[in-house]
Amino acid sequence: MKLTAYFREFFLRNGLTLGVFLLTAVAFWMLVLILLPQVFMVDFSLRHNLPPAAVGGPQDVYTLEHFKFMLYGSEQARGSYNTVDLSVFFRTLLAAVFVTIFDFALCYPIAFFLAKVAKGGWARLMVLSLLVPFWVNELLRAFAFRIVFGNTGVINAVLIWAGIIDQPIDFIRENIALYAGLSYAFILLMIFPIFNAVESLDSNQIEAARDLGSPWWRIHWRVVMPFAKPGITSGCTMVFMLSAGALASPQILGGPSSLWFTQIIYQWFQTGNNWHRGSAYAIVLLASTIIFVLIMMKVFKVKLGEIAG
Amino acid sequence: MKSDYLMRIAVLLFVAAFFTYLFGPLVTMGLTAFNSSEFPRVTPWDCFSVEWFNVLAHDNELMHGVRNSLIIGIGVIALSVPTGLAGALMLTQIGPRIRPWYYTIVIAPILIPGVVLGISTLVFWDSLGRLFQAGENSIFYNGLFLTIVGQSAFISSYSMLVFISRLQRFDPALEEAALDLGATHVQAFRKVLLPFLKPAIGSAAVLGFLASFENYNTTVFTVLTESTLTTVLASKVRYGINPSISALAVAIVALTLIGAVVFEIAKRREQAESIEASRVARGEIAQRAKRRGIWADPVLLMFIAICVAAAGGIYLRGTTGVTECKANVLKARRAATQRKIKELRARRMFQQAAPSEQTGTAAGSKPQQKIEAEGTKGYRNVFAPQNLEEQASGKKKKKIEAPGTKGYSNVFAPRNLEKQAIGKDKAKE
Repeated sequence: MKLTAYFREFFLRNGLTLGVFLLTAVAFWMLVLILLPQVFMVDFSLRHNLPPAAVGGPQDVYTLEHFKFMLYGSEQARGSYNTVDLSVFFRTLLAAVFVTIFDFALCYPIAFFLAKVAKGGWARLMVLSLLVPFWVNELLRAFAFRIVFGNTGVINAVLIWAGIIDQPIDFIRENIALYAGLSYAFILLMIFPIFNAVESLDSNQIEAARDLGSPWWRIHWRVVMPFAKPGITSGCTMVFMLSAGALASPQILGGPSSLWFTQIIYQWFQTGNNWHRGSAYAIVLLASTIIFVLIMMKVFKVKLGEIAG
Repeated sequence: MKSDYLMRIAVLLFVAAFFTYLFGPLVTMGLTAFNSSEFPRVTPWDCFSVEWFNVLAHDNELMHGVRNSLIIGIGVIALSVPTGLAGALMLTQIGPRIRPWYYTIVIAPILIPGVVLGISTLVFWDSLGRLFQAGENSIFYNGLFLTIVGQSAFISSYSMLVFISRLQRFDPALEEAALDLGATHVQAFRKVLLPFLKPAIGSAAVLGFLASFENYNTTVFTVLTESTLTTVLASKVRYGINPSISALAVAIVALTLIGAVVFEIAKRREQAESIEASRVARGEIAQRAKRRGIWADPVLLMFIAICVAAAGGIYLRGTTGVTECKANVLKARRAATQRKIKELRARRMFQQAAPSEQTGTAAGSKPQQKIEAEGTKGYRNVFAPQNLEEQASGKKKKKIEAPGTKGYSNVFAPRNLEKQAIGKDKAKE
């Protein structure tokens, strides 16, 4: 009854044509584009990988096979853990955390500098120039890092020329190129939320803290960072989620002996020909990153609403 | 204040380092597009050339991908701008209790890894296709359609954010006034709200197109047997790279920069006009100055002229004398290779002159075996005692050898040396 009243009011306010448009568009987006695909993916991950003829037959029952596979490996090798996939999984999460911390350490000073220190035309030019690298395709950015970090790349050439090393360092095998490339890819996503948050801080607060004799690091620790916490959190969340879910950079910059978790998912789809298992792995990735972010928010005492606002 | 001064220097150094990190790789990549070397690199510099742009223009696979990317981009705009608009309008109308839930659902696609979105879209439409028993050529298995749908899931969120920020500045009284004056809802929407949202529609479309054009994570799953610019690029970069990819990057950056400048000029014109209009309205000036169309704007014309001149200059410089320059580089490289071979030969002679000394020191702990080994030369048996010695002496030798010969097991084959030395120069990575 309440619902019909609600809808009546909705159509009264918007008129019939517009109301129908709004409802269909939003319903299409939420259901067909977002929610149903996720539901189907979960359903898919809980089924056996059967030949097309057997789909829907008596064998087509729900199973946890694919999740078990990620934990314990194939049926024959039960008893020990699936160390290959699990180590890739944890290494990916750890590396994503590392990339996030690195990006924060790099971007917080820059964001503060742009918001509070830099003035006038220079500040505007710097903000604009931050955008330029992000007009370049993600793959091309990774490609650029491959050139820079390659065996005959600029960095090795400079180091050899300076006499610091006499053999080129294999940055790609050491995954240094990958971490540098991933951190690079998400700089903008870290800077802008922090920049927005810091900019809205009243500069008088900083002045007051300084006048009261606070050293610069304590001003940041006790005044600026607590104020900018929502911005910092949303920046860190985005960088963490996106670097854990990155595919292009690890494919291009990853060392030959190390994989990113998304690459395993990709392999199940493209070469392993087991979409069910790939879906299961994708769900593990999605769930674990979300849970990790929620735990971190709890640790740092940030509420979800603060970020959205 | 000395510490203040130091602090300022430290900050400036940090900012400088940051922007080097930001632009260094891109500038390096841009330079490699103009180096005639087969492998994208800056050092050593061979010849200034534009041949890689030529290679790029004749790359049919890539051009096919670009075409598909354009189609997908347009499809994504058509789908995501209306849904984003509807999503933003809906947000202003729903009650405070379901509002956080609604917001979480529609904003989630931005945070969900693109890989997951691609997979879920693929699986969903695949299941639907099976449900309706659709054929292979139906829409459910069409890579372009799936990609449009998959990308729109999160690009709609982007455009919704754009509309939300614009709607925050909208005065609802305007719409109410229109309704009070007898306009229908559709009329009020079309005549009041849409004109107000026009700039936001433009930015949402541009943003959506760019996001779609450069998306890889979602696309690689949904595109199936088709290809887009990004999937072609990814396979190219993974299986051997050449500077035509750098050339593509240069082209993209140049186009976007030109687009940004043109956009900026157009925006300034619009601002100037609106200021003039308000001055006319206040009676400060009698009439607006007459302006020609945007294409006759002097700043724009100058900018176009500069661009054309720069492109022409680069083209001329990059096509004249390249062949001679390349021949010279090749000659110099051959000479260097010859020199290297000579050096290696001399070193080899030196090593052959004193081989027993080395083995003596290396296998000194097993003198018995060493004597036996003298007689077992030529055996390739795993159990031959000489094997041990070879390994031991090999280790010693490596230290004496030049750094250039690192990793070659068969130092004693001169043909080998030559091949390696040439090959190394050619296919350095």
